[in-house]
Amino acid sequence: MVHLTLNGKIVQAREGEVLLSVIRREGISIPATCHHESVEAFGACRLCTVEITKKEWNGWKDYVTSCLYPVQNDLIVDTHSPAVVELRRTLIDLQLARCPNSPEIRQMAEEYGITTTSYEERPDGDNCILCGLCTRICDRMGFAAISTVGRGYGRRVAPPLDEPPPDCVGCLACALNCPTKVIPYVDKGTTRVIWTKQFELMTCTGCGRTTITRDFAKSLGESRQISLQYFEKCDDCHRRELSQTMTRIVSWQREEKP
Amino acid sequence: MRVESPRHLAELQQAFHAREIGFAKKLHICCGPGCLASGAADIVSKFKALLKKRHLTDFSLEAIKETGCHGLCEQGPLVVIEPDGIFYTKVKPKHVETIIDSTLERNEVISELLYREPHSQRCVEHYRDIDFYARQHRIALRHLGRISQYDIRDYLAQGGYSALAKALTTMTPDQIVSEVTTSGLRGRGGAGFPTGRKWATCRNAEEQPHYVICNGDEGDPGAFMDRAIMEGDPHSVLEGMIICAFAVGSAQGYIYVREEYPLAVQNLQLAIDQASDYGLLGDNILGSDFSFSIKISRGGGAFVCGESSALMKSVAGDVGEPRAKYVRSVLKGLFDRPTVLNNVETFANVPVIINQGGERFAELGMKKSTGTKAFSLVGKVRNTGLIEVPMGTTLRQIIYDIGGGILNDRPFKAVQTGGPSGGCLPESKLDLPVDFNTLTEAGSMMGSGGMIVVDDRTCVVDLAKYFLAFLLDESCGKCTPCREGLYQLHRLATKISDGEATEPDLDKMEQLSHMVIIGSLCGLGKSGPNPFLSTVQYFRDEYLAHIREKRCPAGVCRALIRYDVIAEKCDGCLACISACAVHAITGKKGQVHAIDQELCDKCGACHAVCTRHAIEVT
Amino acid sequence: MTSQFIVIPDLCTGCLTCELACSFAHPVEGKPGRTRIVVYTTPVKELWIPVVCLQCDDPACVRSCLVDALRRNPATGAIELHQDKCVKCLACVAACPFGCSLLDGRHNLIVKCDLCSGDPVCAHFCPTKALSFRPFDTGLLKATA
Repeated sequence: MVHLTLNGKIVQAREGEVLLSVIRREGISIPATCHHESVEAFGACRLCTVEITKKEWNGWKDYVTSCLYPVQNDLIVDTHSPAVVELRRTLIDLQLARCPNSPEIRQMAEEYGITTTSYEERPDGDNCILCGLCTRICDRMGFAAISTVGRGYGRRVAPPLDEPPPDCVGCLACALNCPTKVIPYVDKGTTRVIWTKQFELMTCTGCGRTTITRDFAKSLGESRQISLQYFEKCDDCHRRELSQTMTRIVSWQREEKP
Repeated sequence: MRVESPRHLAELQQAFHAREIGFAKKLHICCGPGCLASGAADIVSKFKALLKKRHLTDFSLEAIKETGCHGLCEQGPLVVIEPDGIFYTKVKPKHVETIIDSTLERNEVISELLYREPHSQRCVEHYRDIDFYARQHRIALRHLGRISQYDIRDYLAQGGYSALAKALTTMTPDQIVSEVTTSGLRGRGGAGFPTGRKWATCRNAEEQPHYVICNGDEGDPGAFMDRAIMEGDPHSVLEGMIICAFAVGSAQGYIYVREEYPLAVQNLQLAIDQASDYGLLGDNILGSDFSFSIKISRGGGAFVCGESSALMKSVAGDVGEPRAKYVRSVLKGLFDRPTVLNNVETFANVPVIINQGGERFAELGMKKSTGTKAFSLVGKVRNTGLIEVPMGTTLRQIIYDIGGGILNDRPFKAVQTGGPSGGCLPESKLDLPVDFNTLTEAGSMMGSGGMIVVDDRTCVVDLAKYFLAFLLDESCGKCTPCREGLYQLHRLATKISDGEATEPDLDKMEQLSHMVIIGSLCGLGKSGPNPFLSTVQYFRDEYLAHIREKRCPAGVCRALIRYDVIAEKCDGCLACISACAVHAITGKKGQVHAIDQELCDKCGACHAVCTRHAIEVT
Repeated sequence: MTSQFIVIPDLCTGCLTCELACSFAHPVEGKPGRTRIVVYTTPVKELWIPVVCLQCDDPACVRSCLVDALRRNPATGAIELHQDKCVKCLACVAACPFGCSLLDGRHNLIVKCDLCSGDPVCAHFCPTKALSFRPFDTGLLKATA
């Protein structure tokens, strides 16, 4: 057990925990846009930065990202000190300059009193804030179909050589977890298109609804030994079939004892 | 041939030393980076070809040494005749035959090739008598210019690998760590972390295996200390690494060399191969049961890979991006294992510390910054080149006593130290001692050793813009404050340079700078605003001139300057008209020329070619 | 894990109280969530089948999850979906042969029965004990690991 002071209150934490986990447990809300529990903390957006100090530091303060900083005994943490709030405000202002048209960024900016950026807007800016969640989650799923390319201001997310990514299975994890909904995908009939790659959607043999892509199902079959048969019906039909099986069983049971 | 014991090593050292002494004359041809660029390779081949034909008595072809950087790069290509130390400067292939005839055969000195003192024009025969050399104290650079960079025998002749023998056979790992700690050696790459403490932490780290990495990324523009050491005295680095490996318990080491240093890779690999042949590297070093191998890992062309965690990712084959170092890389480094990462110059100091003892080393320099530091002194000084001085030497001593003062006697404006992470210091700070702490307190930092001197014709706004542009290009782009913040700072600096900024813009830059410093993930972002902040601190008036008066006092920022012909001085020689790429200058031969301000793009070519001083910039 | 969830369809009256209870016991942003237990009417007279997650021994959902968001809670025996880890790829929804991993379309979440951390509300409110959460009775059922 570790004891630290969080916004003036003494709290307990587990050895090896990071500050963000403690902060959230205490119900304190701070933004952390590049954070997702399915992947390792990244420290890219810097919005979860907190101010830390210790008595023996004689007033010297450090600024660390709470998503990565391990708890320590006698640490004094401030999630909303003036410097931290100013930092968050500046970061959001910078993101707004980068993505002036993103509704999510504009909303976050409004919460910090910013309606337009005070910096130079990125010309032809898209809404990608380079949080890296899409690429990190894709890596975590085992596909690693997309990555960041380029360096510095020109850094962007892209499939290899900007072509339909060979390793993508169309699971949509990237698109569905993007904080600014930048990744487009289209489901039409039995076809899905994402990253300019076309996929066939599995169609339920019971009712005709589409479920996941055939490539995703096959990949699960290979990597996790789940027979493709499992994916031939949708969840509705699976449930109904179970109820039908149970109906038969219970009917027989009832016949046996009059 | 494998060296199987310290005694065998000593015998070899003596034999090779005797061989050196046995040469009546030696020809040291500087093949450091500067001299090579000025044509040293041609000089080497000409010497070899001619001397082969000539069969001089008392001169062996083996006495021709291609050495590392001798130091006074401004005067290169350099050729030194030892043991007298006769110092020939600005040598060309056409001088080779004369040098052989006069100096090698007849012991005559060729005065046209000697160094001339700038004010008195007096010739100096021996380099030891030149202030540039006399005031230095070379430890990390001790062998540069004095041994062949390709031959381990030269290194052994100087007593090389004695420290390794001493460490391996008479000291325990703890004693070695203790000696390094006593020496007070701090990381020479710029961060200045106590080396002994780093080694101790790794030594005591439980997770295995341990790794040793040498940081040869040297990304600061203008810095070439590490390059000179890697090329000119590679064995000093190897010896330092092997001693470290023995102390911390490592069997595998890497030297990370930036992609732009192919010669360093070549020379290091040659040294590794030779050292391995001699049994000084690899399995069972010096006949002991300690084994350690070194591989060279090449960078991909990224300044950010000089940062320790990015470097380790790059060595592992991943994209070089830093990580938050709340868990230090000495505990979780390469492949997440305990790793010692030290700079080239740091390792080069280690054999000296082991040989003479930590206490003796600590007598040099200052209490909290012991030893010496190598600097690449460049810019508007007379004597540009590679130097090494004890910590505590003042900026004034370096720039004036060693550097020979400002070129063309123009007024000194500032000295930029620490590369893109450092800052500019003005004349009022020239008496500050150079060490790890003092310059930082003044708003700059010593850094890895790059020292750029600028005169009144350098615009600090332009300088800050230059460093911001550099960092913008090199930022990995992972974190928002660095990627977006440096971009916005650069845009604002450009606005100032273009005469379109307001005073609130300057305040905004300062505020943004502080946010970038506290918000950034790694040192690149955290120190990126330093050049701007230090120039604004000491040269605020110059910024304000750009903003309020739309004027660039140094005459650099293109949007704010104009080039004009001074009618009284122009004799119509047509030189500037030929030089102008946009045909902005008109005039007939013998008549005063005129510059059309609408067409002129302020490139400065006319100013550069005019020998009549008839073009002025305002 | 000391108890097991038991469904006896014979006792079910199709009152749907279980669905209501489940829905209210799992609110999302203050609104009732999608029920994880679904009661089916059958062609047979007075026979209804409540379908709920079987908390399988070798769950297809756990296998299909590439980010380890589905894990068994050793105390209750339930397979729990950790929302903060879930990336919404729908692999578990597609893989479960009993259709017990469901998409709550209104709230854009995937949900499944978590046995309410050891005191399932559906069983609690079931008037006929068609649903119950009982300690292991080795005579009636096999104990699972």
